Amino acid sequence: MKYILLTGAFLLCLLTACKKDDDLGDIDNIPGLGGDSWTPGPIDNWISDSLTVPYNIAVKYKWDQGELDFNRTLVPPKEEKVIPTLSAVKKVWISNYVAEAGDVFMKRLCPKFFVLVGSASYNPDGTITLGTAEGGRRIVLYTLNDFRIKGMDGYTPSDSSNVKMMFHTIEHEFGHILHQNVLYTPDFKRISVGRYTSNWNNVPDETAHQDGFISAYAMSAPDEDFVEMISIMLTEGKGGFDNLVNSITGTSPNGTTADQAKDKLRQKETIVVDYFKDTWNIDFYSLQARTRASIVALIK
Amino acid sequence: MKHIVTYCAILMLALAACRKDDKSVFDQPADARINQALSQYQQVLTAAPNGWEARITTGTGSIFNFHFKFNDANRVVTYADIDTITASTPRESSYRLKALQQPSLIFDTYTYLHMLADPDGAVNGGDYGSGLQSDFEFAIDTVTADSIHLTGRFNKTAVTLYKATPEQEAAWQNGAWRRTLDFQYLGSILQYFKRLSWGSNAYDISINNDQHTITFIWVDSGGNLQRVTAAFYYTSQGLFLPTPFTNGGVTISSITSTGWNPGTRTLSIKINGGTSGTIAGAAKPAQVDLDAPRRWWDYAAQQQNGYWISVNGFHVNGVDDAYHVRSIPNFYFMLFWPAYGRQSNITYDLLGYVTVQGNSLSLDFGAATLPPTFTADGRVIFQLFGTLGDVPPEAAGAFANTNTQMTEARGFYLVQTSATTYDMVSAKDALAWITWEY
Repeated sequence: MKYILLTGAFLLCLLTACKKDDDLGDIDNIPGLGGDSWTPGPIDNWISDSLTVPYNIAVKYKWDQGELDFNRTLVPPKEEKVIPTLSAVKKVWISNYVAEAGDVFMKRLCPKFFVLVGSASYNPDGTITLGTAEGGRRIVLYTLNDFRIKGMDGYTPSDSSNVKMMFHTIEHEFGHILHQNVLYTPDFKRISVGRYTSNWNNVPDETAHQDGFISAYAMSAPDEDFVEMISIMLTEGKGGFDNLVNSITGTSPNGTTADQAKDKLRQKETIVVDYFKDTWNIDFYSLQARTRASIVALIK
Repeated sequence: MKHIVTYCAILMLALAACRKDDKSVFDQPADARINQALSQYQQVLTAAPNGWEARITTGTGSIFNFHFKFNDANRVVTYADIDTITASTPRESSYRLKALQQPSLIFDTYTYLHMLADPDGAVNGGDYGSGLQSDFEFAIDTVTADSIHLTGRFNKTAVTLYKATPEQEAAWQNGAWRRTLDFQYLGSILQYFKRLSWGSNAYDISINNDQHTITFIWVDSGGNLQRVTAAFYYTSQGLFLPTPFTNGGVTISSITSTGWNPGTRTLSIKINGGTSGTIAGAAKPAQVDLDAPRRWWDYAAQQQNGYWISVNGFHVNGVDDAYHVRSIPNFYFMLFWPAYGRQSNITYDLLGYVTVQGNSLSLDFGAATLPPTFTADGRVIFQLFGTLGDVPPEAAGAFANTNTQMTEARGFYLVQTSATTYDMVSAKDALAWITWEY
């Protein structure tokens, strides 16, 4: 008993002896706290006036490895590409949604943070990533250095595929934000049930079309299918989508006939259009016409 | 006794734990010191009136020179010896100093420096996905008034910035660097063989300007083909080999351009700053690898069902795939199959066209050639024997043009480029060639 008391006393001594009041030092001037700072230039002012003030969207165009994959070789964007790209984004994506659904809709749902990267992100399987989105907040856009629109130096018609690809990415990711807020009807998942596959990158788009998918990537999961429908219908326009559906011929390796494939795509189209109307009160066909018209203005 | 020891131990612990001397070995906290370091580095960077010279060795071993001039508004102006534009047109971009795990210098928007690190192989000739394995985000190792040591944070590229003299800066601004890049015009020489000749010496060379390597090709006294590839770097005086090229009595440590003649496509040069010479196109190799055609033919003939393939067909007069074999519907590759078959007591070779049919490859048509003639001076000559299969109408043009080239009367030289690749070069004028891979 005596020993226990004694030991206890020492232990107490030992523990209290360790209490130290450490001085934290000067905490008002921790480097990098509150983000990086630099002398603002024309690009910073443009972003602030056009995106940050009206829509609370921040854009990081200067290199910050912390925003990106650590195992990928990437490079920052060329400065001369930043404003043209962002103003195209504003014209094609923000302005058209605002015109159809109103300011409040866009301010509430638009992703608040864009990260711009100059090159593509090369994946080990040989594919490249052109854009990613996280949590409805952050969108990373790659390949800015290849961005050329009509009227720019060295523009060739083949550059239009890059431009379309970029809006495809943005509309795709924004589609994710929409369905993550309000999910689409489960009927959508039943249209192509059993045809979703992780092997999508070995399937050519034509074969995907024959199976009733709008693109090969749409085969990866129902969510991707849904947003691929939204983004391709918007960027290609009604005419482009109708052409795509009507040009399906032959039977897919999975045994889907052309008529079945067309029917599946039309069912998906109907669900997307109804979803926009019922959930967000947006006339999809009108949005589609506006979006396609602004893309055409950039590339033709 | 045992207890006493225990008590002593505990007592010692308790007393020692009470020592409160935790004074930092530094006189200021880490945050204050890092801020101080960053502002000092910033001051050093912007204090160089003529900017900084830098030499970068990329992860792939290529060496490039840069000139940076920093100002205190996070802007940097860059020159580089990557190509004639980067060497003559200054490019402004932004930089910042940031406290990462170490104080770091980040070139945070695109400039010439990023061309080396760009994962797009079309930009720098490196592999897609990794480029030339270079950096634009550097940890600052040491800083003195006239040099700064940096280590890349991603690919560990070591870079040293040296304070530039007015002459060094002027060399970029007045076009001296631009002139050393005359070597880039060598790509416009149409002949396969680029002959470096001075005095009584002659070598075939090839310069890879993306990777900054130069390859010397010659045949030694024993008749064996020799290829030596060396890294080089440019200075405002010319092209320098950090490891000089030596062969017998010949040593090359630098090649200086004294002017490019666009009419004759000839580059005048000085070797090691002294002897004058030229680099120009040539119709035949400096020294012919006499045994190469036979070696090439035998290599495939000795394997069971062995053949050489070419994915691009003939390059003629500066045009890749001049006969448009790649436009043949479903074209996959061309092949040359030695001793393919036997007819009328003649064992013939096949110059065939492989296409994709469904999910498999199919050899549907081709030209049969007689057993080739190997000449004593190292050429191989083909003669047409007949046509196998039915040539589809879409392929008729490519087929006929390729046959005409293949049966050129002067024949071809063979240049071995690796253990299993050969270039077959027209002996008539070296303006046409085809690459064979096994």
